[in-house]
Parts: sequence; structure tokens; C-alpha cells
Amino acid sequence: MSIPELIIQTWPRLLAGLGLTIQLTIISLIIGGILGLVFGLLSVSKKKAMRAIAVVYVDIVRGTPLIVQAFFIYFGIPAATGIRLDPNLAGIIALSLNAGGYLAEIFRGGIESISKGQMEAARSLGLPYGMAMRKVILPQAVRTMTPALINQCIITLKDTSILSVIGIQELTQTGRLIIANNYQAFQMWTIIAAMYFIIIMILSKISKRIERRMSYGKSSN
Amino acid sequence: MGKVVIKNLKKSFGDLEVLKDINLEVCEREVICIIGASGSGKSTLLRCINALEDASSGTVEVDGHDITGAHADINKYRQDIGMVFQQFNLFPHMTVLQNISFAPISLKLKTKEEAQAKAHELLKRVDLEEKANVYPEQLSGGQQQRVAIARALAMEPDVMLFDEPTSALDPEMVGEVLAVMKKLANEGMTMIVVTHEMGFAKEVADRVIFIDEGYIVEQGPPSEIFGNPKNERTINFLNKVL
Ligand SMILES: Nc1ncnc2c1ncn2[C@@H]1O[C@H](COP(=O)(O)OP(=O)(O)OP(=O)(O)O)[C@@H](O)[C@H]1O
Ligand SMILES: [Mg+2]
Repeated sequence: MSIPELIIQTWPRLLAGLGLTIQLTIISLIIGGILGLVFGLLSVSKKKAMRAIAVVYVDIVRGTPLIVQAFFIYFGIPAATGIRLDPNLAGIIALSLNAGGYLAEIFRGGIESISKGQMEAARSLGLPYGMAMRKVILPQAVRTMTPALINQCIITLKDTSILSVIGIQELTQTGRLIIANNYQAFQMWTIIAAMYFIIIMILSKISKRIERRMSYGKSSN
Repeated sequence: MGKVVIKNLKKSFGDLEVLKDINLEVCEREVICIIGASGSGKSTLLRCINALEDASSGTVEVDGHDITGAHADINKYRQDIGMVFQQFNLFPHMTVLQNISFAPISLKLKTKEEAQAKAHELLKRVDLEEKANVYPEQLSGGQQQRVAIARALAMEPDVMLFDEPTSALDPEMVGEVLAVMKKLANEGMTMIVVTHEMGFAKEVADRVIFIDEGYIVEQGPPSEIFGNPKNERTINFLNKVL
């Protein structure tokens, strides 16, 4: 069967898979972003215990493969506690924790890239630490972090495909299921790859535009 | 009573004892210039006065408040202690006007309108009225430092600390910043200025303090320190810089 014919035949399922992929990505990035911010802030804390918590979290995330993290949450935890998680929920937890670890490092790097003088100037005006962080350091840090943040969005989008191993019917799993019926592996994987590729290219284009608009004195206010 | 009273101040970084026993009283409206060799502890002393560094021992009182022991209130006390840095440290993501009005607004000391009106007035004082809506990166070093002074003044501080405010400037811009500081001194601001500008110290300071190896070695009116220094180390230092 030709690729156009396959697309016509399978597009509702492909779109549903793509939709779930995008949903998983967005939800995980939002939760991961919050985790990343919190643990990023912990990792620049003056208190050693706070920094230690962040180090442990980041090291666990970076030191284990995502597929193992997903298996642990979906199979491991229920085996120990008897609580079964919905696969989509388990997938979101795994992906959020994973993205959160990498985002924590991105936040730490962004915050540390801002000169110490900025925090000192803000504090010398009487601003409390949290307010100085929120209004002076983070807005500048996020600017420098933008390329890394967008890169992480792309990585998380691609990582959703790993969640196919716990049976989530995102785009990759959808492809597998279709092929199990029609045996058109070459054409189907071409279509699936193209779909990822197009989405990621669109993301990259948007990110380039954001980066360009980010320089001081143009769009910011 | 002194505006700033420093008693037996010691400060170490690890094994390095930078300030060994500093005693200093600064009166209201007094202008103090601190001079000394690089690494002698001038910045550290200044930074202890607004608790950017924590004293290892001793006390620093500003306006009757002991800032060394009072970490709960340090944010409040700092509002009354302006600081100007060598590297300006303006906020690059804010316009000049926002740089100046931001802290009073955020700390709810003024409404936005009041703070901006005050900012415009301060910009007039530092002769940069027309730069209100540009970003710091579009300003020269001298202009940035004048904005930084205005930003500190926006908090209506009782004391102003300057840490080598002209050292990062091209020579032709030093004058404009010193002129603003001189005007401020003449208006009666209490000022503590770490500087290598001996001309400024001679002309503007009420008292010059020479620091060496963590001690105040000699102090007095500029005519004494520059005209008739007593301590050998002061003499050596002045021979090098004058
Ligand atoms: N945060 C710090 N940690 C460790 N050592 C420090 C720190 N800050 C300053 N020092 C050391 O303390 C000493 C005094 O530093 P300080 O900056 O106060 O000197 P200074 O008189 O201001 O010199 P300069 O004229 O070069 O600015 C130096 O030896 C410096 O290396
Ligand atoms: Mg210094």
C-alpha cells in the first residue's frame, strides 16, 4: 500500500496518537517546569541541606534511564503498595519527574549565569531574597535559559515515545498497533517519523523567533 | 550619636582575616573617604555596613540599629542604606525609570505614580532626564553609574555607601560621576566612599581613613592625611598613589 493510501486509512488513529503525545508533553512540561524551578532554587540555596536535596533528585533522574523510571512507577510501585496506576498517569509522573530533573539543572545554570552583583544590588535596596529572585534574577535567567528550555521541550516530546512500553497509546504505540494489523512497517514508520519531525521543526522555528525577540530593549517591558 | 557606629569589627574568610579590629564612628552629614591598597579590606568593610557580608565578630550599628545581629529586620534596615557598586549593577531587563522606581514600588513604599515622579526628579538631579525610557546597555558607563546613584537615592537612604564608584569608568567619565557625588555631599548626605580618587578625597571628604592589613592605620581631615601623614605605612601608600 502506498503512503498516501495508508495515511487516508489510518489518519484518525494517528491524529489521536499525536494528540496524546502532545498532551503528555505539555502536562509533563508544566509539572516538570514547576519541579525544575523548585529544585533549581534549592540547588542555589545558601543552605547545604537544601542543596543536598536537589542534588539527590537530579542525580537519581540523570543516573537512571527514563524507561526504568517508567517501569518503576508503573510496575514497581504497585507491586510494593498494591496501588495500580492508570498508565497515562504513571507516564505523566515518570515524564514530569524526569523533565523536572533536567529542568532543575537548566534553572540552576540560568540563575548562576547572572552576575552576583545583580542579587547584591537588589538586596542592598532592601528587597527580601525571594522578591529579588523573582523580580531581578529569574527574569534575566529565563532569558539566558530559553534555548535550553526549548531543547528540553523537544527532548520531552520525543521521550513520550518511550512511554509506549507501558502501553500508553501515544503516537509511537499507535504506530505499533497499526502495523500489527497491516504489516506495513516501512511506510508506517516513515509516516510516524515524519509526524514527529514536522512537530519538532515547528517548535524549533517558534523557538528561533522567541530567541530573536528576547534581546533587551526591543520587546521587553 | 553616630549615624554609623562600628565596634571591634572582625571579618574572616576561612583562614584569611581581612578585618582585624575596626572601630569607626561616622556622624550625620559626614563624608568619609576610605583609602588603602588593593586587598586591604576596604570593600569588605563597606559590605559589612549593609550586611552583604556578615561580620565574624563585633557590631555595626546604623541609625541605632545593630545590623549584625538582626537578620529578621535586615531588609528593613537596608532600605536606609544606599549602596553604589563599582560595576553599577543596574538591572539590564528594566528601563532606567524602572530601575529607579522598582524597589520603592515592589516594597510598597510608594505608589507607581509617586515612585515614577520621584524617579524623574532624581534623573533630573543626575542630569539624565532624557534617558528615562532607555535600557542600561544603551548608556555609557558614566551614565549608568549616575542612574545607579539615582536608584539608591530613590529609597531615600540616610547613608550612602560607594565602593570605588569610578574605578570601572573610562577616564573622561569619572568627572561627571564625582560631580554628582560632590553635589550629594554638599546637600548633607552622610557618605562613606571607598575611592582611589585622591583629588575627590582631598576636596570633598571631612575625614579620610587609611586602611592597611585589616586595621585603620591612620585617620583625619584630608589636609592632615595628605599634607602631613604620620604613619609610615600611610606615607608609603601615598607616595605610591600620588
Ligand atoms: N567572599 C570572599 N571570599 C574569600 N575571600 C575574600 C572574599 N571577599 C574578599 N576576600 C579577600 O579579602 C581581602 C580583602 O578584600 P577586599 O575586596 O575587601 O579588598 P579591597 O581593599 O576592597 O581591595 P580592592 O582595592 O582591590 O577593591 C582580599 O584578600 C580578598 O581576596
Ligand atoms: Mg574593593
